[in-house]
Amino acid sequence: MNPLLEIRNLAVAYGDVQALWDVSLNVEEGTIVSVLGANGAGKSTLMRTISGLMRPRSGEILFEGKVFSGKRPQQITAAGICHVPEGRGLFSQLTVQENLELGAYLPSVRGYFAQSLERVFELFPKLKERRHQQANSLSGGEQQMVAIGRAIMARPKLLILDEPSLGLSPIIVRQMFELIEALNRQGVTILIVEQNIRQALKIATRAYVLHTGRVAMEGRAEDLLANPEIQKAYMGTLD
Amino acid sequence: MWQFLSLGLLAELTVNGILFGAMYGVAAVGLSLIFGTMRIIFIAQGTIIILGAYLVYWLFTLGGIDPYLSLLLVVPAAFIAGAGVYQALFRKAAAISDKNTSLLIAVGLMFLVQNTMSYAWTPNPKSIVTGYTALGVEILNMRLSFTRLMSMVIAFAATGAVVVFLRRTLVGKAVRAASENMQAAMLMGIDPHRVNAIAFAIGFALAGAAGVALATTYPFDPYFGFVFALKALIALALGGIGNVVGALVGGLALGLIESYSAFFISGGWADAISYGVFLLVLMFRPEGLFVRSIKKA
Ligand SMILES: Nc1ncnc2c1ncn2[C@@H]1O[C@H](COP(=O)(O)OP(=O)(O)O)[C@@H](O)[C@H]1O
Ligand SMILES: [Mg+2]
Repeated sequence: MNPLLEIRNLAVAYGDVQALWDVSLNVEEGTIVSVLGANGAGKSTLMRTISGLMRPRSGEILFEGKVFSGKRPQQITAAGICHVPEGRGLFSQLTVQENLELGAYLPSVRGYFAQSLERVFELFPKLKERRHQQANSLSGGEQQMVAIGRAIMARPKLLILDEPSLGLSPIIVRQMFELIEALNRQGVTILIVEQNIRQALKIATRAYVLHTGRVAMEGRAEDLLANPEIQKAYMGTLD
Repeated sequence: MWQFLSLGLLAELTVNGILFGAMYGVAAVGLSLIFGTMRIIFIAQGTIIILGAYLVYWLFTLGGIDPYLSLLLVVPAAFIAGAGVYQALFRKAAAISDKNTSLLIAVGLMFLVQNTMSYAWTPNPKSIVTGYTALGVEILNMRLSFTRLMSMVIAFAATGAVVVFLRRTLVGKAVRAASENMQAAMLMGIDPHRVNAIAFAIGFALAGAAGVALATTYPFDPYFGFVFALKALIALALGGIGNVVGALVGGLALGLIESYSAFFISGGWADAISYGVFLLVLMFRPEGLFVRSIKKA
């Protein structure tokens, strides 16, 4: 069977500055795939290219076997890829509920609006209480709930999360990883970028390590977790 | 001069300031919307208002159509024209991150429309005189001109309609979302060209309404549009860029400032004072006078 997402020999540049070289990556349906790497390695660039915010210089992106590279973000979103960008990308002047409504903006999912909203409020009762508040009045953890809730509203087949744990307290981070696993059990395939390497590897099926715009390492998450090189390079002396 | 100042006169200055300020406000609301999604100051906004005024004048003198009735024609036509102008002129430029191209297109459009109007209708000022132009309404011992009151009603109604659209409809919410974060909006599946075109369409529709308001109250000429756009820009700065209600309030404030300074200082100083206020606000309150300070992350 084809992987849900298949990236072949991708090269991406910002003007004259190339950020990705010859990146290939597969995400099988139903799995969690982690992308790791130092700051500036090109992780966000890769996610932005998948969701169509950037166009690749060369290479191909296939989703469900169809070529999506070079298509516009709304076509990619409509196909079932939902990208929660680094920093969450909330509409801070809009209310929580308005943010969620925009998650279901596309006609293909708008019909499920009430049902999806109920699902989000079931997952995050806090958001139901705060649904008429402006998004920027929420705490960091609650804002992350809105970001993930908004993604759920889009009923994605593939959910891309770019550093969802950024700026959150350890307890909230743990809850968030549990939530990601729960979503995955409900059938959402997940591609996650994390600095929180140990946790990201624990929940993942496979992982890729990017280094200065190239895939430096890839494999089963549990193998990478046990790999002394990874432990030395990325986990330092932390527990 | 102080000996002439009575409560009645003060009230009249205030009312006149508000009436004219409401028109600045509508122009500023249009600027605010277009700035929101496009990130350019649409400098041709005032000239489009004048074009609207000419259209009303033309419908009135040639077709005998009542100026207020022509709202029903001018506003929808302007709405469609706004979307068309975006698709024809701005669509390509909007896709590039350097906004100077879009700004230059707006400048070019302003001069083109200005000169075309000047050719079509001569540079001489025009005004519309109807049966009700001289009508007045007596309120609290003040005689208010009927047409100016109507202009204010049009301005408030138009702004109110835009606010309802932005707050209550999904597309309106999409416009607000895109104004705040276009890339995140695109990830929701929102088409940037669609929200840009809507911002232009509404901006032009507002200009059409303002054109009716202007044509029925003041004489206008083709070159007045540029000054009008500058005034709208000041209103925008007062109200806080990217805030629709603030833009209207900013327009009202500017109208008051002009009305008072024309009387208390001198008519000649009114404009200089407006531009002075503009600079002072940008220097000391760049987020606008009527916005709580926003901390940027
Ligand atoms: N908007 C941009 N313009 C130019 N270069 C950029 C831009 N965004 C990122 N880069 C560069 O691309 C490289 C990869 O960045 P990014 O994908 O954000 O890395 P990561 O997400 O792994 O931290 C870095 O060298 C960064 O400096
Ligand atoms: Mg990043």
